[in-house]
Amino acid sequence: MQTAIAHAHDAHGHDAHGDHAHHHDVSFIRKYVFSTDHKVIAKQFMLASLLFLFVGGLFALLIRWQLAYPGEAIPLIGNILPDTWVSDGAVTANFYTQLLSLHGTVMIFYVIIPLAVGMFGNFCIPLMIGTDDMALPRLNMFSFWLVPPAGLILLSGFFFDSGAAAAGWTGYPPLGPSSGAGQTTWLISLFLIGFSSIMGATNYLATIVNKRAKGMQFFQMPLTIWALFITAILITLGTPVLAAAISMQLADQYLHTSFFMPDNLLVGAPDNSMLTGAFVQKGNELLEHKQLLGGGGQPILWQHLFWFYSHPAVYIMILPGMGIVSDVLATFARKPLYGYKAMIFAIMGIAFLGFIVWGHHMFQSGMNPLLGTTFMLSTIVIAVPSAIKIFNWLGTIWRGDIRFTAANLNALAFIATFIIGGLSGVFMASAPVDIYIHDTYFIVAHIHYVLFGGALFAIFAGIYYWFPKMYGKMLNESLGRKHFYWSFVFFNLTFYPMHILGVGGHMRRIYNPYIYEFLQQFQPMNQFITFAAIILGFSQLILIFNIFWSLKYGKAAPRNPWQANTLEWAAPAHPGHGNFDTDITVYRGPYEFSLPGRSTDFYPQWEEPQGQPEEVQAKDPHSSQHA
Amino acid sequence: MSFDVSKAMEWAYKDMLTFFPENVSTFGSELDNLFAMIYYASVAIFFITYGILIAFIILYRHQEGRRAYHYHGNNLMEFTWTLLPTFLFAGIGLWSDDAWTKSKSAYRVPNPDVTIDVLGYQSGFGWQFRYPGPDGVFGKKDRNQISSANPFGIDSNDMHGKDDLVIISPGGARPVEAHLPINKNVLVNLSSNDVLHSFFLPNFRVKQDAVPGQWIKVWFNGTKAGRYEIACAELCGSGHYNMRGLLIMDSQQDYDAWLDQQYKLKKPETAPVADSTATLAAAPDSTTTKKN
Ligand code: HEM
Ligand SMILES: [Cu+2]
Ligand SMILES: [Cu+2]
Repeated sequence: MQTAIAHAHDAHGHDAHGDHAHHHDVSFIRKYVFSTDHKVIAKQFMLASLLFLFVGGLFALLIRWQLAYPGEAIPLIGNILPDTWVSDGAVTANFYTQLLSLHGTVMIFYVIIPLAVGMFGNFCIPLMIGTDDMALPRLNMFSFWLVPPAGLILLSGFFFDSGAAAAGWTGYPPLGPSSGAGQTTWLISLFLIGFSSIMGATNYLATIVNKRAKGMQFFQMPLTIWALFITAILITLGTPVLAAAISMQLADQYLHTSFFMPDNLLVGAPDNSMLTGAFVQKGNELLEHKQLLGGGGQPILWQHLFWFYSHPAVYIMILPGMGIVSDVLATFARKPLYGYKAMIFAIMGIAFLGFIVWGHHMFQSGMNPLLGTTFMLSTIVIAVPSAIKIFNWLGTIWRGDIRFTAANLNALAFIATFIIGGLSGVFMASAPVDIYIHDTYFIVAHIHYVLFGGALFAIFAGIYYWFPKMYGKMLNESLGRKHFYWSFVFFNLTFYPMHILGVGGHMRRIYNPYIYEFLQQFQPMNQFITFAAIILGFSQLILIFNIFWSLKYGKAAPRNPWQANTLEWAAPAHPGHGNFDTDITVYRGPYEFSLPGRSTDFYPQWEEPQGQPEEVQAKDPHSSQHA
Repeated sequence: MSFDVSKAMEWAYKDMLTFFPENVSTFGSELDNLFAMIYYASVAIFFITYGILIAFIILYRHQEGRRAYHYHGNNLMEFTWTLLPTFLFAGIGLWSDDAWTKSKSAYRVPNPDVTIDVLGYQSGFGWQFRYPGPDGVFGKKDRNQISSANPFGIDSNDMHGKDDLVIISPGGARPVEAHLPINKNVLVNLSSNDVLHSFFLPNFRVKQDAVPGQWIKVWFNGTKAGRYEIACAELCGSGHYNMRGLLIMDSQQDYDAWLDQQYKLKKPETAPVADSTATLAAAPDSTTTKKN
């Protein structure tokens, strides 16, 4: 035990390299590829998701170019793309629709969820609860190894004649099932990635419940762990519903069922789907196809099932970020988190309410308007815990001693953007206001404020914060700040004006807005957004460069570089398989910063009390947590 | 490749509310007011929270020798900032409900002066309108008679259907032009035969998804004569962007004159089925629209 304390205070320790007592001789494949070490799996999630971030970002820039200069050749790459995708160097309407569908799908299912949940869940949970690994390490390995095939299946759609999925990230029927092989790849890919999520989440639950370090009570877990814990519950409850809905859509496409397909449907004949019925002759071509069999299906049923998963899924994407931001803010304000328990109850409130608000995506769907009223009220209620969280974060930095590290800048930016994203949510939550702004750029602005501005900035904060523990190297701070400032400024310049487009009535998912007279005035603004988006995209290269540069030339990380309190900082600077080189016992909550009477301004969870009066007091969890 | 800087920066110096297209429906102004109210509340909340955030960032930035205040929170504060937003948001919710039921709920749809059917379609991408014809009565619908030649599925055995008027795109890339009278309660029965569409009238603050297999009632009352655009707001395929239509709001007189003219154009002997085939064939199909 004494050694643990010695290590904790040893900032430039003799243990800067990770091969220690727990090291085993294992093959390269077992160590880096099919590894069961939660930290390696976390890095694999990070690598895969950053690659997908690049792919999804590229799709976004192609979309943006078309909106700024419709019909004009894409600079640099326009003329080398195959002519099933472009004509005269400009994207075709068909390809545009595939791009927007895959942009959303990739960013949500292959970037934000794997980063927020896959990467941080894997990395943080065992370390922050003071244990050697996940409860079920092999299941953990499978949960990652479903991601690459699922992603490749999704992208393979681009190489079919009929193209990739083109029914949006929401895949609404009848468009979905009637649009051929691309949609099939989309369905299969989401099924697999959902399966991966479920495997991960059950593992997180098992680990958090069973493997906490000696002495760690639930109400001594850091907010990151609380957030991931509740996220895992959302995943295990929500994702099976998505899997069911996907199976039903696949059955509609191939097994002649009609869960979502009404009878007498006249849909374009998809090249290789097996929709039943008669083809309708039109001129010399078989253009239409009349679905006769079955029938009686209800397209809106899909929307209910999809959003029953996907509304909780937006919290799956943001809750881990909220946890990360709470920990980062407290550490760099050198202050206890304001209202620790209130923050946890707010997360629980959001999670519970998250299951009864899905209908706010369906106000204009044809659902009974009476239901609209109830969903409007529940949605408005869910804004309350969101507000509580904002106030508590502000309370956390109040009278702090704030350090503007790259991690903390991103965490502060999260608060700033989440305020705007939450406020735009209230507009849309009001069902009558939503009539006009539904399916316009106002929604696009909202989702990017909460997902890019919110979830992704929190993920950046987490990367800057935990990179030293992941790789044993410090990330370059000055590059980190540059990455932050460029991203923050151009993020706002890209997405804030989209609110205005929405108010102007600009529909989303539109290949060429300017065929509408009322939208022609917005072309210059769309061009402005496109330029900002290009710079925003390129700013991310600073992060990628920083990662590779720091891996090679970065300073060796000390054990506890940020002088934080949580258990991961008790582990060696670059922990090997098995994590800790000492036995961990938890004596207090995670946020005992700036305790009066101590020489240091932090008081790690694992540090044994020395018997001084105020420390004895702090040992009792009830006296240290008033909230 | 030109770039108009002052237009591009309008978002930065013009009030957000000025970007709404002109409102020309009775309940539209109510929805706009509601938007404005939430907007002003949001601006206030924005300035308060950003003011606090920025003030704290400046006041409490790291300084040598400063020690942060060791404080875990305060239940009274938690109650305050739970209850305040609850009241504010509950107010918004209650205020919204009346406007919502007025514009959408079946039991509050006023007695219609004019009733029409509207259908979104994917093969060629556009909207079709159906008026009851000189007899003022719609022919019955029969789902089994739906075909691309008879998209509304007008029952060929029903005499009332023979004179029904179907308005469709005049062909080429030209949008469909439908007329309706001002200051009248218009009831639209909305549907689709293929995929989801969304009937979006920006100037009327009307938006409603068209769902195959279901006829959904939409109503509005236009207050100003003129030519307004119709858009589709639900992704319906690669021609989704190209579902532009025109709604011409006429005085009752002009509207009647237009109807008469349409009745004359339509030969009474011709069955509606054959008639709409002719027009549908002239409609732009997906291969021509893709080039746009
Ligand atoms: C104060 C809290 C929030 C409220 C009141 C709120 C409300 C809404 C409403 C009413 C819609 C539907 C709008 C429409 O389609 O017409 C919506 C859409 C959406 N929200 Fe939120 N939201 C909130 C927070 C969040 C958060 C935290 C996230 C994600 C991290 C999020 C992600 C999304 C996404 C992705 C959509 C769009 C889905 C789509 O149609 O593609 N929202 N939100
Ligand atoms: Cu939602
Ligand atoms: Cu459409």
